[in-house]
Amino acid sequence: MNELNNIMSIIGKETVRAIIGLIGVLVLVVINALILTWAERKVAGHMQRRIAAKEVGPFGLIQPIADSLKLLGKELITPANVERSLFYLAPTLIFIPVLVSFVVIPFDSYLQVKDMNVGILVILAFSSLSVLSILIAGWGSNNKYSLIGAIRSVAQNIAYEIPLLLSLLPVIIIAHSLSLKDIVEAQNGLWFVVYQPFAFLIFFIASVAETNRTPFDLPEAESELVAGFHTEYTGMRFALFFLAEYTNIFIVSAIAATFFLGGYQGPILPGIVWFFIKTYFLVFVILWMRWTFPRVRFDQLLNFSWKVLIPTSLVNLIITAGILKL
Amino acid sequence: MTSVMDIINGAASLIVGMGVTIKAFFSPVVTVQYPRQTINITPRFRGHTKLVADDEKPERTKCIVCGMCERNCPSKSIKRVSGEKMEGEKKKTATEYILNFTTCSQCGICVETCPVDALAFSADYNLAGFKREDFYFDLVKEFEKRKTNR
Amino acid sequence: MVKKTLEDIKNTLQDVDASEISYAERGYHLAIEAQKGSLVSVVEFFADKGFYLADLCCVDYVEYLELVYLFNNFKELCRAKVTLKVEPDKPVAPTISHIYTMAHWYEREIHEFFGVYFEGHQKLTYLFLHNGIDCYPLRKNRVPVTDDDKKLLDSFKPEEEEDAFFINLGPQHPSTHGVLRVVLKMDGEYILSAEPVLGYLHRMHEKMAENRSYQQFLPNPARMDYPGALLFNLAHVAAVEKLCGIEVPERAQYIRTITCELNRISSHLLWIGAFLGDLGGLTPFLYAFDDRENILDILESATGSRLTYCYFRFGGLYNDIDDNFIDMTKKFIKRMHERLGMYEKLITKNVIFINRVRGIGILEQSEVPKYGCSGPIIRSTGMPFDIRKVEPYAAYDKIDFEIPTGKTGDNMDRYMVRMKEMEISLNIVEKAIEKLPSGPFNAEKVPKKLKPPKGDVYHAVESTRGETGVYIVSDESDKPYRMRWRVPSFSNLMTFPALAQRTLLADAIATMGSFDLVIPEIDR
Repeated sequence: MNELNNIMSIIGKETVRAIIGLIGVLVLVVINALILTWAERKVAGHMQRRIAAKEVGPFGLIQPIADSLKLLGKELITPANVERSLFYLAPTLIFIPVLVSFVVIPFDSYLQVKDMNVGILVILAFSSLSVLSILIAGWGSNNKYSLIGAIRSVAQNIAYEIPLLLSLLPVIIIAHSLSLKDIVEAQNGLWFVVYQPFAFLIFFIASVAETNRTPFDLPEAESELVAGFHTEYTGMRFALFFLAEYTNIFIVSAIAATFFLGGYQGPILPGIVWFFIKTYFLVFVILWMRWTFPRVRFDQLLNFSWKVLIPTSLVNLIITAGILKL
Repeated sequence: MTSVMDIINGAASLIVGMGVTIKAFFSPVVTVQYPRQTINITPRFRGHTKLVADDEKPERTKCIVCGMCERNCPSKSIKRVSGEKMEGEKKKTATEYILNFTTCSQCGICVETCPVDALAFSADYNLAGFKREDFYFDLVKEFEKRKTNR
Repeated sequence: MVKKTLEDIKNTLQDVDASEISYAERGYHLAIEAQKGSLVSVVEFFADKGFYLADLCCVDYVEYLELVYLFNNFKELCRAKVTLKVEPDKPVAPTISHIYTMAHWYEREIHEFFGVYFEGHQKLTYLFLHNGIDCYPLRKNRVPVTDDDKKLLDSFKPEEEEDAFFINLGPQHPSTHGVLRVVLKMDGEYILSAEPVLGYLHRMHEKMAENRSYQQFLPNPARMDYPGALLFNLAHVAAVEKLCGIEVPERAQYIRTITCELNRISSHLLWIGAFLGDLGGLTPFLYAFDDRENILDILESATGSRLTYCYFRFGGLYNDIDDNFIDMTKKFIKRMHERLGMYEKLITKNVIFINRVRGIGILEQSEVPKYGCSGPIIRSTGMPFDIRKVEPYAAYDKIDFEIPTGKTGDNMDRYMVRMKEMEISLNIVEKAIEKLPSGPFNAEKVPKKLKPPKGDVYHAVESTRGETGVYIVSDESDKPYRMRWRVPSFSNLMTFPALAQRTLLADAIATMGSFDLVIPEIDR
């Protein structure tokens, strides 16, 4: 015990905390991806009135592990004419912003890797980075479908980043803080979704678009672009894109839960349970939407953002600010 | 202001659509879990053809080895029909009837053209094999097997 | 209409030999023999009168090759056959592709299969046989392809251009439903030009027909159009019956109507699923398959197979239907009416869907005769043309039904027309079951070996995608001398390059999905 304290004092408490946090985040990412692959299959299956995975393990629960083992065992094909360095870089790069975002999310009043006073800025800044790796993947693949998918992705992300930010600002104004923990604490009584229903809706729509999910899955629209930006990727590299997508879904749901649904606040049950209930409920809604709607067209997608979401969120912001000033 | 109404109506239509899928989500599944569950085969199901037992002498087939089916098959799936005249029989008895099931399309022309109605469709549907030759059926042998099983 | 057209022809074109033909026997009203000099003026005459080119084919009579142009009118039934004889050694004919756009492909096809050179055709290249050919496949004698022709055939090269790039949509692309390849010239996401490349599923059913008896060809039509197999079978069976003059008993006619309409619904259901899949919604696909499975169960109980049926026989059916079939059908009709309401909630009213299809891929009504397209595609432009109505076969003349039409001819109209058609098909089935007479289901005295009298016959049915016609030339043997299939998707697809021009890639895919293309049918 003494030795441990010695080591702690040498490398510093913060570092230990960071390492434990990182391990925790990695575990969470993997477990979340496993749960979401399973959940997506099950939700899709039952919405289409079939059973989906059921053979491996009870209710097919082991299926995601079998899937990931399969993907690990697959050959990593590098097509002949790709930009090798970019092609290899993209799947790794897509993962960094995803991991960073976890750092500031408060899972419970005591469970947070680091409470920063600019928490939401960190998430927004890093989530914009994921589009860079999609662009790199599309460009590096040297495939026309990939390139179109990547370009679509850039336009889409730029268009939807703005309403995303604008819909979070009213909450920040009400809570007087950029720290996610403070925002959750501010929702001790009423959740912000009651004050800000429009902001919540706008945030939710924009975040679905940010995560490239149906009905906004244009970068990987399979009926138009085969598989979009990851057409040329195989095996574990492809799996990393998938992992990032599922983790992104979790993060946007977690942010929405934190900002609008009171985060870990809730009666009886411990905070962390409430947090996961709220987050996975939103995840379920995203899956539900995917298995109900067709895809929107590209120009409609941009029009919707620039002509509907941004003006609405701006008006909402001004009204909120005005009311608070009064 | 029409656009505001459009957006509200559009959102309503989306919610109605989500209602349809969530209803399906909680409805029972419609699929059949095949190897564990099976469904009944309709009596008219067209599997591969089989030889029919003679009404008077159930130990032999009705086939008289005329070769009509062989000539009329559109895909030349009936490879060989041969037989010999047994003692005490007026007509030939089939000893070999090779059907290449890989090219058969179950059109029923052989069943129709048979002058003595010696052919019928079987109800075998879950056939699997590792090579093409697994599906070169000898219908006479298959008939014998069915006879002993009965 | 027929008399008037005949008079007009005689007045305007003095040197053509035109005569009226017994429609009941031949399936067309007018036979016109054109000469090389007069062909273009004859075709122009028909184009002026608003006729569409139903089919263009060639028959090799050894001493001469005969080009057969089949015309028909959308407004009133008037089928006209224009023939042109060309010498077999170096066959040359004037092109009509500048009058009828669709003739571009028909002429390429004939050039490839018979070696007929069309003077003035823009691009006589391969249509189906991309691997190259040594001799013309549909000629009766072996005629080798000359080196000049080989060069001519093998010239499919997309032209490179500044600021544009090419995308190969297919042959293995999720939304081409099979192995169609479309070469798209793109400017960003906009399509500058689209050119379909056919032939990946070409099996030459027309040649197969020449090598087997009429009866042995029975399983083949189902392989051309697999989602609507019964309707193609009916086209073949009915054409042969017309040629031989076989009377089909009443009960068989009704059962044919019932099974065909059920098949039409199942084909449309398959289309809904695939169409929504093209638009990115995958769940309706499974719902449609759930319903379709019910139809397959019903049809299986009658025909014994689930997809590629071989049920109709010359003069009747393979077997009769039973009470179980009727019970299942009645139950299905009830269920399907409810399900159509569900589809309306899930798809038709969905704002995303509406925005994706409304006003996209508009086909003008005036353009239709140029392409000779048919089926729901032309009904969506507001033309109530349905072979079941204008040229009734089976028991359609005894059942009252309406023809749904659209207004603008966009994707939404095509969708609505097909949805409405399913409802109407349900009504037809319901009425046909009510009226179903008892009696024999097979004509008596149909010889086992059919040897039809000499002559030709054209018979068309309304398949799920449009006018499916069979043109048979008989030489009194038990095998057809020539069997020509006029397939609807072939002419429907021809409109795609025009509709896809200057649209977004996503819209072009929606348009292609709304056509309900079946590639094996196009390639035959």
